[in-house]
Amino acid sequence: MSVSWSYLAERFVIFVATIFISVTAVFFVPRLVPGDPLGAVLATMSTAAGGGSGSEELVAEYRRRFGLDESLFQQYLSYIRELLRGNLGYSIAIFPTRVSTLLADAIPWTVGLLGITTVISWLLGSLLGAIVGWSGGRARFLQALVPVALILYTTPYYILAIILVYGLAFRWPIFPLSGAYSPGRSPEWSLSFAGDVIKHGALPALSIVLISLGWWFLSMRSLIISEQGQDYILWAEAKGLPRRRIFWAYAFRNALLPQTTGLALSLGHIVGGALITEVIFAYPGLGYLIYNAIKGLDFPVIQGTILLLACSVALVNFILDLAYPLIDPRIRASRT
Amino acid sequence: MVAVPVEEITQTPVAQRRGVLSVLLSNRKFVIGMVVFIALGATAIIGNLTVDPSERRTGAFPARQPPGSVAILGTTTLGQSVAIQWAQAVPNSMQVGLIAATLGTTLGALIGLVSGYFGGTIDAALRVLIDVFLSVPSLLFLILIAALLQGVSVLTMALIIGLFAWAWPARAVRSQALSLKERPFVRVARLSGMGGGEIVIRELLPHMLTWLGANFLNAFIAAILAESGLSILGLGPQQEMTLGMMIYWALSFGAIFQNLWWWWLTPVVTLIVLFLALYLVHLGLDEVGNPRLRSRG
Repeated sequence: MSVSWSYLAERFVIFVATIFISVTAVFFVPRLVPGDPLGAVLATMSTAAGGGSGSEELVAEYRRRFGLDESLFQQYLSYIRELLRGNLGYSIAIFPTRVSTLLADAIPWTVGLLGITTVISWLLGSLLGAIVGWSGGRARFLQALVPVALILYTTPYYILAIILVYGLAFRWPIFPLSGAYSPGRSPEWSLSFAGDVIKHGALPALSIVLISLGWWFLSMRSLIISEQGQDYILWAEAKGLPRRRIFWAYAFRNALLPQTTGLALSLGHIVGGALITEVIFAYPGLGYLIYNAIKGLDFPVIQGTILLLACSVALVNFILDLAYPLIDPRIRASRT
Repeated sequence: MVAVPVEEITQTPVAQRRGVLSVLLSNRKFVIGMVVFIALGATAIIGNLTVDPSERRTGAFPARQPPGSVAILGTTTLGQSVAIQWAQAVPNSMQVGLIAATLGTTLGALIGLVSGYFGGTIDAALRVLIDVFLSVPSLLFLILIAALLQGVSVLTMALIIGLFAWAWPARAVRSQALSLKERPFVRVARLSGMGGGEIVIRELLPHMLTWLGANFLNAFIAAILAESGLSILGLGPQQEMTLGMMIYWALSFGAIFQNLWWWWLTPVVTLIVLFLALYLVHLGLDEVGNPRLRSRG
């Protein structure tokens, strides 16, 4: 198999550039904002601590650790060096805790919630959209799904999340109001804990699945409709192939390509929406971590979380880019 | 030299011959969406004008009143009228959308045109930049900037969101410019001695206007979405009212668990209606710009 090298090289350049720009932006943006925000935060902290003897030492320690007395370029270099070692600094709000520890606690929840819901909604939405698009006007009841998908698509995740919390957790308390597991429990590998997690995750998952499903449904439907008029479909029909086979092996497979690109392109939006959904459900993932860090003016945690998310999205995009030639032979053959 | 067929030069899109406006006005989706959108904005602005300033104060109304004779849409825990907040929030949110979408679409169109028309090294560099901005979740950097600024106004928020909204239009305009620049009319313009910049603005840009309009709407929706998202995270304009801030205050005062449903439901329903209306307008514009879609309804 001869994967086009120029294609791979281009995607790799974009991947590296994304990481570099994210890392650099996270470093420079706080320093471009007028008025030394970090200093302001530290000052707020030392007042909040009642001006006790420990707080000033903490500020001094922070200035030293951040190397705020060095030149900007020196600071940048040491920042990169620490990053490569996996050191994202310390949380201000919960001081001796490392940012990486907080992130490590939050990651499994976000990855679990986001990973599962994205896969489910993409598969389900594409499948439903393809079936509805293929059936055309012949199945009236299926066409009724189109306006529903339209409403879902235009609704933001967190709006549906609020409605679901009110309806299914407050008004009719079928599901718990918030959190990822019952208060007082601690994560463990047991069947009853797993059940607890599923029960708590159901509503956040439902709001993400329903909303993103709307878009996958609509785009797949219109893709299939435009595939239907193509010559190769007519040819397959003229040959007398069963419609079922034309659908699966011809139309569906071809429409899946732009659908995969769509997944790669909307990953950023999905992540953004999911972060805010976590806030509404007080779901202890990265979104809730950012939310609490914003409330506590905990910049190292905000920066660390943003860096991690930006790099992960870039990485997943890169992996999807690499997988693309496998499903689209045209890229394999030639791409300039 | 390539011969240029005359009919291709003189050919104008159907939409231009009939007048874009009349085509748009005969499109049902466009009209319904537009009417709902304008009605929302107008109700809010008129409502804003008729409100007595003293009624804006915290505690001007009895607290926690359900919708009724005291206040049409009920009151908050702090004794503010939800309807009065709503009337302030809708124009503010629309303002964020308008400013951010204008900024993003203009920047995007310029970058896309330059990248697509001039090609070469500029194109290669800009293309990487566009792809980078597309693959980074812009909300993340909005969070970073808004958190650092500590207290933004509606205007700053709109500008920041706009600065991150150029990548989509840039990518699409670029590919359009790539296909348009080899068309006969552009070749004629080049042969007749027009400069690069003039061709970009006088020959390429008019062909993308309907399309840019649809893109502007997308950016408008995305900006209001970003505004409400940032506000819910606690990064919104604390001193002003937007639809996102309404949700933020309702959530932070526990409106859901205290069963003050009118408080959170008002901005939630407004956002849904607003997005649906804008999306209908967008679909309408799409159908006008791309006649192949029209028959499908």
